[in-house]
Parts: sequence; C-alpha cells; structure tokens
Amino acid sequence: MQPPVSPAASRLGLVVAAAIAVLALVETGNALIAPSRAPKDADWEAAAREIRASFRPGDLIVAAPAWADPLMRLHLGDLVPLAVAARFDDARFGRVWEIGQRGAHAPEAARGTVALERRFGALTLRRVERPPAVIVYDFLEHWKELVLTRQQAGRPDVKCPWNGVHFQCADISFNFAELLTVEVDTAIHRGLLAQPVEKATVVMDYPAATLGRDLVVATGLHDVWQRKAGKGIVNLRVVIGGTPAAAVTVTNDSGWQLTHVDTSAYEGRVVDVRFEVTSPAPYQRHFVLAAEARR
Amino acid sequence: MTPMRRLGVRGRDRLIMALLALMTVSWLLAVEGREGIGRDEGQYFRAGERYWGWFEELGENIHEGHWKRSFTPATLDKYWNDNAPDHPVVAKVLYGLSWRLFHRCTCMGPARGLHPIPVKGRHRTIPLFARESTAFRFPAILFAALLVALVFRFARRFVAWPAAAAGAVLMLAQPHYFFHAQIACFDAPITTMAFAVGYAYWKSLRSARWGVITGLVFGVALGTKHNAWLMPFFLGGHYLWMRRGDVLGRGGRRYVTRVPLAFVSMIVLGPLIFFMHWPWLWQAPLQRARTYVKRHLDHEHYNFEYLGRNWNAPVTDPQLKPLRLTAPFVETLLTVPVTTLALAGVGAVVLMRRRRGDGVTPEAELEAPLEDRPDWLRPGVDVDRAPGAFLAVQIFGPLCVIALPATPIFGGVKHFLPAMPYVAVAAAIGLARLVPIVAATLARLRPAVARAVPVTFAALVCLPAVVETRRSHPDGLSHYNMLAGGFAGGASLGMNRQFWGYSVLPMLPWVNANPDNHAMYWHDVIVDALNMYKREGRLAMDVGDTGAARPGIARSSVGILFYEKHWAIYEGWFWDEYGSTRPVYVREREGVPLVTTYERGVQ
Repeated sequence: MQPPVSPAASRLGLVVAAAIAVLALVETGNALIAPSRAPKDADWEAAAREIRASFRPGDLIVAAPAWADPLMRLHLGDLVPLAVAARFDDARFGRVWEIGQRGAHAPEAARGTVALERRFGALTLRRVERPPAVIVYDFLEHWKELVLTRQQAGRPDVKCPWNGVHFQCADISFNFAELLTVEVDTAIHRGLLAQPVEKATVVMDYPAATLGRDLVVATGLHDVWQRKAGKGIVNLRVVIGGTPAAAVTVTNDSGWQLTHVDTSAYEGRVVDVRFEVTSPAPYQRHFVLAAEARR
Repeated sequence: MTPMRRLGVRGRDRLIMALLALMTVSWLLAVEGREGIGRDEGQYFRAGERYWGWFEELGENIHEGHWKRSFTPATLDKYWNDNAPDHPVVAKVLYGLSWRLFHRCTCMGPARGLHPIPVKGRHRTIPLFARESTAFRFPAILFAALLVALVFRFARRFVAWPAAAAGAVLMLAQPHYFFHAQIACFDAPITTMAFAVGYAYWKSLRSARWGVITGLVFGVALGTKHNAWLMPFFLGGHYLWMRRGDVLGRGGRRYVTRVPLAFVSMIVLGPLIFFMHWPWLWQAPLQRARTYVKRHLDHEHYNFEYLGRNWNAPVTDPQLKPLRLTAPFVETLLTVPVTTLALAGVGAVVLMRRRRGDGVTPEAELEAPLEDRPDWLRPGVDVDRAPGAFLAVQIFGPLCVIALPATPIFGGVKHFLPAMPYVAVAAAIGLARLVPIVAATLARLRPAVARAVPVTFAALVCLPAVVETRRSHPDGLSHYNMLAGGFAGGASLGMNRQFWGYSVLPMLPWVNANPDNHAMYWHDVIVDALNMYKREGRLAMDVGDTGAARPGIARSSVGILFYEKHWAIYEGWFWDEYGSTRPVYVREREGVPLVTTYERGVQ
C-alpha cells in the first residue's frame, strides 16, 4: 500500500503538477509559434535590396549566426566572391554588413561603430564601420614569386621549380607548394598548401617581401579526412632578414591560427621572408599557410 | 453499464493497446512518404529485395525438385553476402517480404533495370501501397506499433490506464524516435526488441513460462541489430541488484542462487536462433560470426557534430573526454520533449522514494515477496523486484555505453533509442503520481471535473510532444527541443543537423525540372536511394549521377551539398569548380539550411 499523502506532500505535488501543466502549455505554444519566427524569403530579399543600394567594393557581408551564411549567399552571393568567402580574416574590411537573426551577432562585426541598423521582418541588418587594416604585402597574391626548396642535413638543397601548376620538388610527389582553396577546422580559406617531409625542412622563401609594422601569419591543417588519418604536429619557423622572428606549432586542433609578428623594425623595407616547415611525423599533414604584412 | 466496463480491465487494456498500435501505424503511414531515403535505408532496400530473391529462387528450385541448389555456398553467398557482415537479417528479410507482398508493381516499366535482382515478370501482389518504399518500410512501422502497445502494457503494471496510454504516446511522440520509426532501418525495430526482451525478463521474474520466452525474444533481438549484445549486461545488472541480499547476507546467511531460467534461456536460445536465422553464417558459423562481431567492435568513427566540434575518432585528449562523455545525456536533454523529461524526472523521484515491497503507485502490482524460498525458475518471487533499478539500468545502460570515449557517436540519438521506452514509462509513473493529487484538490471544488482529471491531464502532457513531433517532421534529425531552441537553437549550439542524405527529397521536383540534371552531383545520396526514387517516379529516369567527391563535382553541372560540419571541404570544391559561392537553391527548416544547390555558371 502507498502511504497516505501528507498535506505538505500534497501541496508540493500540486505545485509540481501545476508547473508541468504550465510547461506543457508553454511548450505547445512554442512549438506552434516558433516556425513563424524564422526569417522569410521576403525578409532576406528586403535586406539584400538595402545592401545592394549602398554596397561598395571591398565591403564584407556576413550572416549571424554563421549557419545562415548559405542563405545570405543565396541572396547576395554575387557580392561575396571566393576571395571574400574564403577570407584570411576580417581586418581588411572597413565596412561590414551583418544580417542577423534571433539576436545573434557575427564576430566579424564586433569591432567598429554601427553606422546603420534596420529591421526587415525577422532579420536585423547592421552596417559596422571601422578603419580597415592596410595590407602592404599579401603573400598569397605574390605566391608565384616564392622560391621553394627542400633542405636535408648532409644533402644538397632540392630546388622546386614551377611546373605550370605549382612549385614541385623532385623525387617526392607530395612535396610541392600551391595556392588552393582549403578547409581548416571545417571552415574554408585560401592558403598555400605545403606538406612537410620526413627529416627535411620545406622552405618557402619570399626574397623581396615588403613589410609593415605587423606580419600576420595564418596556419592550419587542411582536409578533415587527413586530420583524422594523421596525428603529428607541424612546426613553422618564420625567418625575417635572416633572423628567426616567430615559431608556430600546428596540431589537428589548432584551427585557423593567426600569429602576429611585430615587424616595426622593418616597416616600409623590402626584405627576405622565409617560412620553414618541419614535422616529426609528417604523415597526412596537409599544412597550410597564408600571411599578410600590414601597415 | 458502459461498453468499457462490460469489457473488463483486461479487455479494456487490450482494446487500448490495439487502438494505440492502430494510431501508430496510421500516423506513421500518413507521413512516411515525406521522409527521404538515407544511405543506410537505401542499402537495406537493396539487401531486402536481394534476400527475397533467394526465397524466390528457393521456391523455383522446390518446384523443380532441386531444393538443395538453394543451399550451395555459391547460391547462399550470391544473395546473403549483401550487407554482410554489417547486420543480421531479421528486419531486412521482413522488409523484402513486405515489398514483395504489398508493392504496386510497375516493375516492367523503364525502371525494370534498377532492381538488384532480375525482374522476370510482372509481380502479382496485394498492392496496399502506392510507393515501393512504403512497402519496404511497413514492417518497421509495425515494429513501432508493437513498441507503443508494449509500453502501454508494461506501464500498466505500475499505473492506471490513462497514464499508461500517455506513456505510450510519449514514446512515439519523440521527434528523433519518430524519424527512425518510419524507415526501413534497424533502430526502431531494435528499440522494440530491446523493450520486448526487457518486458519478457520482467515477467520472467515471477513466471517460468516467460523465462523461456525471454530467450526466444532475445534470439530475435540478436537477429535484429547488435545492440542486443548489451541486453544481458543490463538485465544482469538489475538481477544482481534485485538479489543483492543473497550476497550481502539475508537472514544471517549468504548463499548463491542458481542462474535464473531467463538467462539460461537467453544463453541457449539466443545464439541458436541467431545462427539459424542468418544464412550467410551457415558456411562458416564461427569464423563469420567473429567477422560480424569484429566489424562492430572495430567500427569506424564517422564524423558527427556535437557542441560545435566535429568528432570522428576515439577521444584520447584528457581535456576533451569530459565533454565527449556528456554527449548521450545532453542529446537526450535537448531532443526529448521537455514535458516528457519533466514527467520522467517526477517518475524517477517516485521510484527512488518507494519503500521496498510497496507498489509503485496504488494501482501497481505489489512488489512484496510472494514466497519465502528462492526459485531459479521465478527469481523475483521471494524478493522485491526493484522496478526503479530496472528502469535505471535500462535508461542509463545504453546512454553510458555511448558515453564511453572509445564508442562512436555518429548515430546520435538513434544509437541509444532503447533507453527511450523506459523514459516514457518513467514519465507515465510521474504522471500517475500527480493525477490523484490534482484530482483530490479539484474534487473539493468541482467533483465532476475531478473525475475527468486522469484523462485530461494525460492528454495535456501529451500535447506538446505530439505538436513538437509534428513540427519536426520530416526533419526529425535536425530538430531540437524547446530547451535548445528548436531547429535554430540546435544549429547555434553546434548540434548535428542531419546525416546520410535523407533530406534531399523535397528538392527532387526542382532537380527534375532542371535542364542540366543529366550531369547532377548528389553528394551524400547513395545510388540505391536514387534508384528507389526513380523506381517510384519521384526522380526522372534521365537524371544523372556524376560520382563521388571532387571529381564528381568537377564533372557536374548541378550539385547538392548537405550541411554537416565535416562536409565544409565539399563547399570549397564547389566554389572552386563552379567559380561562384552563390547557391541557386537552399533547402531550409525554420531558417536553418539543410541542403544547398549550386549550378555551374551562376554568378
């Protein structure tokens, strides 16, 4: 037999029952109403019209949350070319159009002042303005000027000439450097793919790079399947004018890692910049590099 | 006397079980056509039809007096190699049989060549279903109906019929279960079979007949999916807890009882039925059974998104292990309707506070020992059966297995669905506890209203689950509950949105109308699914398939991309190959993109 329910237990039970009844009603109402709170095509079209009316080349358009990005590109993809969609970062964009929903904001629009804010149904359009970073040298734009070599102790350096597609080193098919659209940490970027080689240093040398005050180097490991297959770390050493300036270790979990190097001493000068790539376990290490010299 | 009263308690319960089962079949059949075909289901269609081919040939061989021909190694492997060693064949054989019996044959038309076995002539069938895929899916739907009925029946051991019926509805009305319940896969059937084994075991505690039945049911479960391997551990855990007095000392002396009949039956009948049911095993039973077991013990960790990370390998990083461990618990918390979870929480409190020997509720079976002496034929006859512990191991057992860092999590909720019927039973117990309190309070105010409380309150708590499940369809995998914030909330939390390419179905009319569809890239849609869409007339026969990965995109003029975290690399390939980042069509649910279409030349 169940014990008789005490008045206190009965009161508590009643509170719980009332709470569950309210919860059931709230959950039902939410399930019925929530679908109508999603942005509609008309909201996207109206926001897109507003952006097109004032869009300037060099503007960045982003969606918040980021998972709405395909819908943003459905309506405005012609204003988001590959170089922008697969961008290094957002520093070079002085004007950022953010199409947000459900109160979300994009990290790309976190800096600057809000110059415009308008609602289009369930969407909120904001334009954020800030001084853009001035890029004095984009290492990806100049990638065909690099000199690629493979260096191994006790052996002569292996030259890696241009073969019409990329810089290819002799004897090892995967030992090359090429500008590609890459996937790092499940996000798309543009970068120089240069796989490390066992017991060797892969050197990407820019003999005449113009530097500003800040050299920003992005690194990562391309391809989700290769990250699954390989575990080894990759080391990058940045050498400026013959002097080691930075060292970066890249792992499966580093993501698209930005490293800032203070280059104030070289501001406005043309110098030799070398990127030296090594790995103690280079199996399936699809190392990717990008860099920008900023004023 | 009302008709319900004339039926008596047993008759009324049977009627309710039948109505619940009928409701389940009707609801699932009414909506399954909107749910696309995933990679796994496409393979099971193919395997089911091929297995049917063996039976068809067996019939011909018997007719010709050469029945032995069907049992040669070459003939057995010709049919039964399909989808081996991946999964045993109980469900797939039923799918193939149902297809053969119930599809509407257009098999002599242009899709004749898309069948995995030669179509020798027009099939004579009972054409119950317009689509072939519905005929394949029908047995899975019947499994779901059986589960709903069994949940009611089991819950009735503890609670009155309105609460038990609510528990049954709360089982079906879970968006992720509902998604799996209507497709020709194994996750809904094994959930049914796991519950059936648990039910039979529970009955076996006080009935020797059910001890034998437990072994039979376990054998069928082994033939349904490998989750069955875990059932003895969960049941063993409960048994040891229930009989902990034997070890701890009861009446001043310790003793060891004999292994109960249910376990003996499982050990003997389980493997026997398993080996008998799967013709692929017959040639080399032990070697092939070992291959099957190894296939699952060494299973690859497919990619799966959980809390914003892509998980695709056993977790070795000590910092990530705690996060990974939470996966099944958080997934449960964010996918089961919140009211159901709250009621299950109340039910858990009720079970924890129950005194030994008491029933779970006033309506429940008594738990007090019926006899003084232990009996291996009825091992629960002299002890309290510990229903709380039973529900706890059945709920937390499957979740804990998935929580282990070395266990793949790629199936999401589907891999621990066998816990969900017991969550529903716990919810029924919670509801049953609250109903008399509400009724007693209302009785002081409006006695007539109080009489309606059991049914009204049961209906009220079922309402959000039913509405939420209806909302989720046909994208149950993308759906998350109110705590998460629905489709959008799940996406923002970085929860898995979908897998295996089922969500393309609503896009097929667009594909059919596209003039470049002869060079179509299908991403994660398997060729077996495409064949079925074509056989059913949902995809035009001349729609092409340019193949897999980047070469497939390079050859294509139009292509689709499913949004899962690890597929980002494919989007980069589209941008490169098509020279544009602009999709031409995005299939979304409540603003959350599921599938994107790119078209070459569109800027």
